[in-house]
Amino acid sequence: MSVSNYLVEVNGIFGRWIKKTLRRPQFLFFSLVQPIVWFVLFTQAFSSITNISVPIPGTSPQLFKTFKDFAGTSSYLTFFSAAVIIQTVISSAMQSGIGMVTDLESGYMDKMRVAPIHRSAILMGKVLSDGVRILIQTAVIMILGFALGVTVATGVGGLLLLFAIAMTFGIAWSGISTFIGLATKNSEATLMISILTTFPLLFLSTAVMPKPLLQDWIQTVATYNPMSYVADALHGLIITGFDWVGLGYAALIILAVGAISLSATTSMFRRTVSG
Amino acid sequence: MNFGYLKNHEGVAPAMSQQVEQIASPVPGAAPATGAKAAASAAPGRKVITKADAILLVKYLKKVFDPDIRAVDGISFNVKRGEIFGFLGPNGAGKSTTIKIITTLIQKTSGTVFVDGLDLEHQPAKIREIIGYAAQDVGVDDDLTGRENLRLQTRFYHIPRSESEDRVNLIIKTVGLEDSADRRAGTYSGGMRRRLDLAMALISKPKLLFLDEPTTGLDPQNRISVWNYIKSLNEQGMTIFLTTQYMEEADRLCDRLCIIDHGRIMAQGTPAALKSEIGADVIQIALKSDGEKKVQDIAREALRRIPGVQEVQNYDAGVAAYAKNGPSLVPQIVRMLDDAGVQIAQLTLSAPSLDDVFLKHTGHQMRSEEVKPPSRMIWGARRRPSR
Repeated sequence: MSVSNYLVEVNGIFGRWIKKTLRRPQFLFFSLVQPIVWFVLFTQAFSSITNISVPIPGTSPQLFKTFKDFAGTSSYLTFFSAAVIIQTVISSAMQSGIGMVTDLESGYMDKMRVAPIHRSAILMGKVLSDGVRILIQTAVIMILGFALGVTVATGVGGLLLLFAIAMTFGIAWSGISTFIGLATKNSEATLMISILTTFPLLFLSTAVMPKPLLQDWIQTVATYNPMSYVADALHGLIITGFDWVGLGYAALIILAVGAISLSATTSMFRRTVSG
Repeated sequence: MNFGYLKNHEGVAPAMSQQVEQIASPVPGAAPATGAKAAASAAPGRKVITKADAILLVKYLKKVFDPDIRAVDGISFNVKRGEIFGFLGPNGAGKSTTIKIITTLIQKTSGTVFVDGLDLEHQPAKIREIIGYAAQDVGVDDDLTGRENLRLQTRFYHIPRSESEDRVNLIIKTVGLEDSADRRAGTYSGGMRRRLDLAMALISKPKLLFLDEPTTGLDPQNRISVWNYIKSLNEQGMTIFLTTQYMEEADRLCDRLCIIDHGRIMAQGTPAALKSEIGADVIQIALKSDGEKKVQDIAREALRRIPGVQEVQNYDAGVAAYAKNGPSLVPQIVRMLDDAGVQIAQLTLSAPSLDDVFLKHTGHQMRSEEVKPPSRMIWGARRRPSR
């Protein structure tokens, strides 16, 4: 095995997926239209949330907590931008498995398997391309957010960290979808299972609403929901500042999800390609 | 296009490589086809096929799918250097399974396979370097252009960049895709996709090319152009293993072939030898009592009494009689069957064809083609205009 051969293979497969992604209309949809829809619809629908005032018990004269006290910002748009990032990242990650299924169905996978390439290069090139795709999409969201008035409290450094979180989280999450794709070999099933496992997690997390404002049972779920920790880390970077403990939690969560999903995917992939 | 890759490669006996040398650089006026044939039947007096003669040696190959489907049921055969070797059989006979095992796509249950002296069991990666494979279902990337598909293939086979562009351009010209090379493969017609797929399998200049049903689903015109192309590749010295369910294809292309049915080899040899094995005209009589064993037996007994009929055999639709002077016997046959009270649905008389060879060895006609429904996609409809 030669390293340079391996790099050529990974690079070839990576380039293939990037080309495919950029040429597909649904990429444009997911990266542009969907974030706009989310930004506009949700921030409009939930804009009155910023008017809430919760009485603080035992205070006299009666004091009230406002949205800013819960969220750290009085702009729901700013708060919600983390949710848009997470939502876009997971939507995008959910598509990763479909690409694998398409290759299995179209016979292109067999074409790669009869070629003298390292079979792990097939997966490696794909995963890297997923990461880059998610990076591009996150950049689009942030540009959109800036245009709408979102500010990032932690400046350029925080923004870079935010990109890193989005990308690694996306890669970790795309492992789940790729695993489902390889296991079911069916694109509809891959999408359905991905949606069913992903969206409830998003709404049962602190991504869309500050934790104290969630219903009690959702608060309980959100505490154990890995997505909450990623959302909190993003919220921190955008709204308050570097919270290294929160960022540490997010890194741990991403590492754990990534380790599980990517090793499961790798072993499933080995099983699929070894025939 | 000239593949000089066969020159002096390892494992070829000196006499053999001389022959191959000739093919690689054809003498003006000499028909290259005969060169290839001569190479295939080289080394007179040697009865045992050695690794030098055979680029592919398969012994007792078996593939059992769960629960107990014997897709390939203990077959042995060999493919000689420079020949076109064919597997002829209906859908589900085990043709694709055999090819997929040899091309390292699926694992065998038992048996041994050597490709150019390389053991499939221990050196699959080495085997991948020297083979090409075009599957029954075309494996091109619809989102990439024809040129990009080919370029990526040169990366997979580690062809140096300095050489790869030339090779891509050459193969595009060879398969006649110059005008559409920079269009996405998704916009190609069925015939163009097939040609691109073939080009992708060929760009590495494989020693042994596997073509799984190369013309299934093509219209007659495209079919003939693929046939001509396969022949010209072979004339330049490439060894080709193809599978087909078309008698005509096997007859026209193959130097030698195996008739395969239910995972077993029923007969093997040159098309001419297989046909002459029958050695007689074939009179196929389909009976009105379709496939009823008793009526078939009555008919068979009646026909056996006719002098000149060498053999009578049941097949799924009736009986088949083999006779040297077929035409002169037809009136008698009709009379005898009439007397025996057997009603004829159809009677055909023919010089032996591979159809008859198949019928003789399997007891049934080739099953008609199954139509596979296209797999459904959720994102983006597949663009396959004419398949």
